[in-house]
Amino acid sequence: MDSLGRRRFLSKAVLGTTAVTVVGASTIGSFAPEAVAGQRPKLDVEPGAPDPNFVDGRVRSLGKGELLVTSADRSMHRIHLTSATSVWKLRPTTADAAKVGDGLYARGVRLPDGTLAADAVWLNIVNLQVHITSIGRTALHLDHHGDRIVGHVVAGTTAAVYNSTPAVSDLSLLQVGKHAQVIGAWRPDTNEVDLATVYAAA
Amino acid sequence: MIEWFAGTQQFVLGGVLIWASMFKLGRRAPVAARRSALRKLVGETRAVPAYRAVGLVELLVGALLVTPPVLVVEAYLAVALSVGMLAYLAYAKLRAPEAGCGCLGDKHTPVRGRGFVRAGVLLASGALAAWSTAWWPATLADAPLAWVAVVVAQSAVIVALSPELDHRWLLPLRRWRVRVSHPLARTPVTVPLESSVQQLQRSDAYRSVVGALRSDLLDSWEEGRWRLLTYSADQDGVAATAVFAVPLDGHRPQDIRVALVPESGEVLV
Amino acid sequence: MAQPEQLAPTTAETSWFCCGAAWGPCGSAGGGACGNCRSGSRHCAWPNTSDNCFAITRPDKCGDTLLRRTCGHTFYVQHLCGSTEIAVTIADCGPQTDLWCGEQSCCSGKCASNRLLDLTPSAYSAIGNLSSGIMPVNIRS
Repeated sequence: MDSLGRRRFLSKAVLGTTAVTVVGASTIGSFAPEAVAGQRPKLDVEPGAPDPNFVDGRVRSLGKGELLVTSADRSMHRIHLTSATSVWKLRPTTADAAKVGDGLYARGVRLPDGTLAADAVWLNIVNLQVHITSIGRTALHLDHHGDRIVGHVVAGTTAAVYNSTPAVSDLSLLQVGKHAQVIGAWRPDTNEVDLATVYAAA
Repeated sequence: MIEWFAGTQQFVLGGVLIWASMFKLGRRAPVAARRSALRKLVGETRAVPAYRAVGLVELLVGALLVTPPVLVVEAYLAVALSVGMLAYLAYAKLRAPEAGCGCLGDKHTPVRGRGFVRAGVLLASGALAAWSTAWWPATLADAPLAWVAVVVAQSAVIVALSPELDHRWLLPLRRWRVRVSHPLARTPVTVPLESSVQQLQRSDAYRSVVGALRSDLLDSWEEGRWRLLTYSADQDGVAATAVFAVPLDGHRPQDIRVALVPESGEVLV
Repeated sequence: MAQPEQLAPTTAETSWFCCGAAWGPCGSAGGGACGNCRSGSRHCAWPNTSDNCFAITRPDKCGDTLLRRTCGHTFYVQHLCGSTEIAVTIADCGPQTDLWCGEQSCCSGKCASNRLLDLTPSAYSAIGNLSSGIMPVNIRS
């Protein structure tokens, strides 16, 4: 089934215009939230320990459904991607968006051969605590612990969250001199990021 | 001419040093000292006394420069202080890049190029001041307008080279410009994806399946007044796709629908 | 500075931060206040690891009286609406709580206020998604 066909199928599944096979229960409240919250499963990783199911590094090469990643400690990691792997690069995207040199965080399950079967991959994602030093027509100029960062506004994607209210596309309440938190996609080997979400006080 | 110019440097340099010393001897000095590279250089316990000691030396040299008599040694002391400052900046840049300078204010600003240029300007100013033969009021009397112009211009340069002072003039200027006409006021109005994700995360529908979700957002698209969001899921060992329908026209988490649909799990090509 | 004991568990907001040798703007982050912080390890930042740390983060300005906890202390963290609990040790000072006083994150009718904890990407992604910059959590010692 192609991407559009799959979307149509899933739309019908959730909006109730077709009968589909549903795993477990599919209606709201079928899983008791309290029961879920009440469980206290065993810790997956010891406190302070390196997480075997997580990779932090830069993409060194691309293969068929695979990324080869080098971590800062020079260790190499093979990351296996499937259609069930979410890939984020400024917005949800596909594995095709990965480029050599991209920074990467990946979470999944470490297989016996050392490969990470990825559930989620975030490419070039950064989370910065900044001060807005100036605002231009297409970018925010940011101070990140004394380093200058240019945050590019991406029409249709960049959103702002003011004082915990729902995200909006209106960026006109951002103020020079105020602090902000920025989720964005770093442009490799530059001091520039494309802005996904800006958390700010209005 | 050079003697006249040197006279102006006595005043400018002396003024800057006295001004710098005020911050180091003031009540916010301990905070600035602990955030500065001095903490790394002399240790945490000695950072505040060392910071205040630098302030005292600056006050002394500054006072010597702006008060009579005019001695060449005063300018040499100022040059030595500037050389020391350059060395301190180089140390800070190399060994404590995120530490503050603590130079002309208590605002935390790591050492960057502007700090080096400012120290260079003060070094040149000290070297020039060594040429002075008369106390600075005499140069003021000689050519008052030119004297004021030089002092104002040089002070403006030093302020412009001081990131600690940006919040006093640069940010208000930019704030004013943005208030007059916000550059991003014409951003097209859309419902951002993040808004739908936030709404989803506030819903009971999301909470009912959150334990089964394995991935971040896989895909999203719009279908009439709904935005569809999908996540990979694993329900009792069966791979599935969790698909949520989130209202596009308003914040109504209670209306969000969810379905868990079996997933083929084919490898990406 | 002596701080009274805070009742545990408590709810709070958490975000994520990178540390250790890293790529991008994180490259200069270093090992954090404790020197051993790594993005790929289960570490966290706490606003009251020392007097100096407290002087910067100032959770008291948001009405939060936090216990002094130093490098290596373990917290157990769970998404407010999640089922997975992780354990993290303190490796850095942060977040700067006073910048975000009164901020709230909610899930399914439950809310948490004020940023009292930052997690490494490894820890954050074990209970949430990195693309969301903030989430409500339960914290216990």
